[in-house]
Amino acid sequence: MRRCTDHRLSRRNLLTVGAVGGLGLTLTDFFRMRSARADQKFYESKEGTAKSVIYIFLPGGLAQQESFDPKPYAPLEYRGPLKSIATKLTGVRFSELFPQTASVADKLTVINSMTHGEAAHERGVHNMFTGYRPSPALQYPSIGSVVSHEFGPRNDLPPYVFVPNQPNTFAGTGYLSSSFAGFSIGSDPAAKDYKVRDLQLPDGVDTKRFQKRRRVLDIVNDHFRQKEKSDSLDSMDTFYQRAYSLISSEKARLAFDISKEDDKLRKAYGRNPAGARMLLARRLVEAGVRFVTLTYGGWDHHDKIENRIRSQVPPFDQAYAALIRDLDQRGLLDSTLVVVASEFGRTPKINATAGRDHWPKVFSTLMAGGGIKRGQVYGKSNATAAEPADNPMSIENWATTLYKCIGINADKELMAPGDRPIEIVNGGKVCKDLLA
Amino acid sequence: MNAFSKTLVCLGAVVGRIKDATIAGTAKTRQSGLGLLRSGQFLGGVRSFGNRHVFLVRPAGLPCQVAGLVLLLLAMPQTLFAQSNESVAGTLAVFPPKIALSHGEDRQSIVVQETRADGTTFDLTDQVNVRLAGEQSFAKFENGVVVPVANGAGTLIVEHRGRSVEVPVEVATVEKRLAISFTNDVMPVFSKTGCNAGSCHGAARGKDGFNLSLYGFDPGGDYFRLTREMMGRRINVAVPEDCLLTNKATGDVAHSGGSLISRDSEHYQTLLKWLREGAPYDGGDVPAVSSIELYPKAAVLDGPGSKQRLTVVANYADGASRDVTNLTYFSSNNDNSAAVSPAGVVTAANRGEAFVMARFDTHTVGSDFIILPKDAQFQWPEDVKAYNYIDDAIHDKLNKLRIRPAELCSDAEFIRRSTLDICGLLPTTEEVETFVADKSADKRSLWIDQLLERKEFSDIWLMKWSELLQVRSVGNRVSYKGTLLYYDWLKQRIANNVPVDQMVIELLSSTGGTFSNPATNYFENERNNLKIAENVAQVFMGTRIQCAQCHNHPFDRWTMDDYYSFAAFFAKVNRKRAEDPRERIIFNASGETKHPITGKVMLPKFLGGDVPKVRGKDRRRVLAEWLVSPENPWFARNLSNIVWAHFFGRGIVHEVDDFRVSNPPVNPRLLDDLAAKFTDYKFDFKQLVRDICNSRTYQLGTRTNETNKGDLTNFSHSTLRRIRAEVLLDAISQVTATRDKFRGLPLGSRAVQIADGNTSTYFLSTFGRAKRETVCSCEVKMEPNLSQALHLINGETVENKIKSGGLIKTMMDQGKDDATIIRDLYLRCFARKATAMEAEKLIVTIKENENRQQALEDIFWALLNSREFVFNH
Repeated sequence: MRRCTDHRLSRRNLLTVGAVGGLGLTLTDFFRMRSARADQKFYESKEGTAKSVIYIFLPGGLAQQESFDPKPYAPLEYRGPLKSIATKLTGVRFSELFPQTASVADKLTVINSMTHGEAAHERGVHNMFTGYRPSPALQYPSIGSVVSHEFGPRNDLPPYVFVPNQPNTFAGTGYLSSSFAGFSIGSDPAAKDYKVRDLQLPDGVDTKRFQKRRRVLDIVNDHFRQKEKSDSLDSMDTFYQRAYSLISSEKARLAFDISKEDDKLRKAYGRNPAGARMLLARRLVEAGVRFVTLTYGGWDHHDKIENRIRSQVPPFDQAYAALIRDLDQRGLLDSTLVVVASEFGRTPKINATAGRDHWPKVFSTLMAGGGIKRGQVYGKSNATAAEPADNPMSIENWATTLYKCIGINADKELMAPGDRPIEIVNGGKVCKDLLA
Repeated sequence: MNAFSKTLVCLGAVVGRIKDATIAGTAKTRQSGLGLLRSGQFLGGVRSFGNRHVFLVRPAGLPCQVAGLVLLLLAMPQTLFAQSNESVAGTLAVFPPKIALSHGEDRQSIVVQETRADGTTFDLTDQVNVRLAGEQSFAKFENGVVVPVANGAGTLIVEHRGRSVEVPVEVATVEKRLAISFTNDVMPVFSKTGCNAGSCHGAARGKDGFNLSLYGFDPGGDYFRLTREMMGRRINVAVPEDCLLTNKATGDVAHSGGSLISRDSEHYQTLLKWLREGAPYDGGDVPAVSSIELYPKAAVLDGPGSKQRLTVVANYADGASRDVTNLTYFSSNNDNSAAVSPAGVVTAANRGEAFVMARFDTHTVGSDFIILPKDAQFQWPEDVKAYNYIDDAIHDKLNKLRIRPAELCSDAEFIRRSTLDICGLLPTTEEVETFVADKSADKRSLWIDQLLERKEFSDIWLMKWSELLQVRSVGNRVSYKGTLLYYDWLKQRIANNVPVDQMVIELLSSTGGTFSNPATNYFENERNNLKIAENVAQVFMGTRIQCAQCHNHPFDRWTMDDYYSFAAFFAKVNRKRAEDPRERIIFNASGETKHPITGKVMLPKFLGGDVPKVRGKDRRRVLAEWLVSPENPWFARNLSNIVWAHFFGRGIVHEVDDFRVSNPPVNPRLLDDLAAKFTDYKFDFKQLVRDICNSRTYQLGTRTNETNKGDLTNFSHSTLRRIRAEVLLDAISQVTATRDKFRGLPLGSRAVQIADGNTSTYFLSTFGRAKRETVCSCEVKMEPNLSQALHLINGETVENKIKSGGLIKTMMDQGKDDATIIRDLYLRCFARKATAMEAEKLIVTIKENENRQQALEDIFWALLNSREFVFNH
């Protein structure tokens, strides 16, 4: 298997260039390099294989042993309480609680060698949302905000949406401007009274009255607009325009309306938080949202892991498999990257309270669609799922590959306060083995 | 002058004294100017020397080229002409102010700066006559550098057009030759050339397999990596010219960083000398750098292209000093206005300000540069007079910048702005009308006094302090009860006007149960003692020391030693369970802070201060007493800055909790003055707020003029500030005559009174209320977003409040006509009446609608959605 490769100019490449030229560095080269070092690294972002991303985050730390990397031959205290089952991929087994996911395994890439060193929730979460290790000096933007920064809105819809809410501060804009913040739909699509806040005109205000209100507002704003100039005024105008287009575009608004989905399909996803959120995510990306972040459940199973995982996995399993099948049937899977991730894995050995504790040394993630290879397991953990045995996958490489699918070169530098150019991901390499 | 005059005569030119004449608009009395009388075809030119103008006309028949040559001659620097001119001359200054050379290879460069009467400065270093005077030949001056010859003392005399400045020079132990030191000679080369910068080998994991400590915070480690790592393949003491270190640095072998040092440079010679001497570490103890000085400390450059060279002197612990200009890394925080070359020459570009920094060893210092457009004509407007000391400082700076402040804001604007800022309320219709009608001259002052006496004033500062001290409940750590008690503790102190210094001492030295002594919650909100130290530095000194946890701060003075010795003040904080499971007890017990690299136990040391005696004392109390004392210059400055930022939307140091060498105050004098007053007032916020609001600067309008339209930092005009979440919600409730209910507060309370950072509503969260999870001032979000727009347009807050307040219906029931209702609504929301045009247009919209109430409610909706409402202006 090939290792992840560096796509940038490496020292080795530089030597080759020198050899071809048959000359050492000229003075011009020297100045060019000097100025290249001083300037921002720039690459144009162009829509890649993944036109949209659904990022499913399982907060708390999903146990790799009880999900996609079971160890059926390990001693009981390592193996855990669950059995394993065969999947669509020969020789690949999942935990017994994932029969549906097992049946779509031929459409997925399972990474069983994710690794980073952060065993605290917030630090692990930071890694998984930004592609960076936490820094005390700088807030990094989330992947979704970077996508929003690079591409902007599509089809009157906000580019970055949270289902239902922003899950943590690291999903925010970091050092980027607030205009790249995600839009929280603010209500759980599984709830009976689910409604995206403030999208609909209030009772008693029809389109006609709303048009009238906008006209009145223009009259009122006019005086101030002529008198005052400022950036915050402009960005508020921008958001009002976005709000107007969202409110007035029935098509855009309908993307949030899960009740428009066929009953049979709703049932296939499951009428529960997992099903409703994933179905809504599909509706949103189908309509034009670029990046949907959704969370499901709580996976910090320090004790009684069996009971908890048994109650939480089945809805996820059903919904996730339904999402993959649904996207595939609609021909959207190849342009939609679906990621399942957690901040870390869990300890190899079952602990005294029948649970497992934090374990960032090795854990699993799923990637599917949007240019990711169908049907493979990348990387291996060792016999007790304690550390990577083969092809360890760093956060940087993982994030860089993700960005690559989206069409963003993660080596690009964005400007942080104090005119500090910061790479989108620092030193990551595209892992070509993940790509179709 | 003779030959020159002859040339002019032979050209048939006119030479004479033309007082204050302007010829073809090019010659100005104060500056020397050279102009063509008609562009395109050369006809003649003017060169002026102060009041004297040389006017020159090309006689017919004389070739253009010849005349052009003469003109070129005229264009040469004024110093070429013997003519001296007193009206232009300003004062001369020579840097450094004294020179001490302490060994045979010691050197010192000088910089000469002229400051003219209008404040502009000129670099005369190349234009002065320099000679040395002393008992014998103890030193010589060559190529702009003072070089020692023999032990002795004397003076360096710098002369320029009859003016002279003397600088004492001392030469001692000239026979001494210093052995090469890795720390003091080799390390600075890596810093100067950027080898150990964060983007190169200074990165946490190095670059291309080679790691240096960031900006050289760990010389020992760097020495090891250079000489021992990779089995010593990086250096070659036998053939120093041909080893990886030199070949990489010069770019003779492939190097991602390119060629950074040329083989004939002084830096290369240093590396070579070090290798030739066997690549030693330091020969015994070498003195540490105690401080560095950058000269000149300020400059006002006259137009693009003007230059100013810099010189840097390092002072060592043993009393020696050294010219380290050549080893200093220079940077500018605004290349657009003033760029600085690696050699330390600043070149002016666009109008603006720049802070030019010099970094050597662990020290960073900076100088203020102002760049003016060439020959900027400026007269401070007669009618702009300072109201108080604040304006003195502001006007002084604006004058230097050639900026005229904006006009004063209107009375309506003033009453809305001040009421929102001081009390977090909108003025009532009656208040606005009375105030605007009032003809007395001191009505603004009187209004400020009235506002300061309201209880809402202390609510605002209670809220601010609750953010700084992170009053909030935390999952299994800080119970809601503890949070309320903590809030009440704070509230009592602020309501009773307990001086802030006392409050801080009480807070930081508190011990006991989080219920019985609620101040101790401070140590429960954050349990990591390192983090507590960081928070204390950030909240009470406005300084972020986080960087120094892992490496010396690259752009500030803080080292890892500073960080861990400051953290040592909190090393003894311990916590245990109390009887009530919701309570915890904070007490002092054992504990020390260790340096993670050296493993040394760190003695408590004040940030940027002394090592106090702490034996037998409560370390936290020792720290708190120092924090609020005059020995700590940052306490009063930081708090004054926080207060200032509340009223201007931007600190004198911006961000308010980011005081840093590389982030200097935009107006140091103003910050000093405010801090001095605040200390005089015994840290009474009310007094300081009174000063700020009574300043002319606070009362400026937002409309800009030609000179200040580009200014965003010097407070030359007022800026639009979105109203913060709590105040905005309170304002909406106020104008709609509705009441809110928040957790733990009675119906009708205001959002600014919410105790717990975790108590929120959709409105408050959406508009960026701080959750108080960190001490960062950045938690309060003022940025607009899509959810805010949607919520104001469609959300329940505006819609329901318009309905449930029933204001429109009441007004209609009172029989008010459309014009009156519009007038009342405008006064309520904007503190002004609608203009005739607005009223006219709005009345049309009412007439169009069959449902009058609906039409009026739509106007109310529009007012609450308007920019004029959500911004303070």
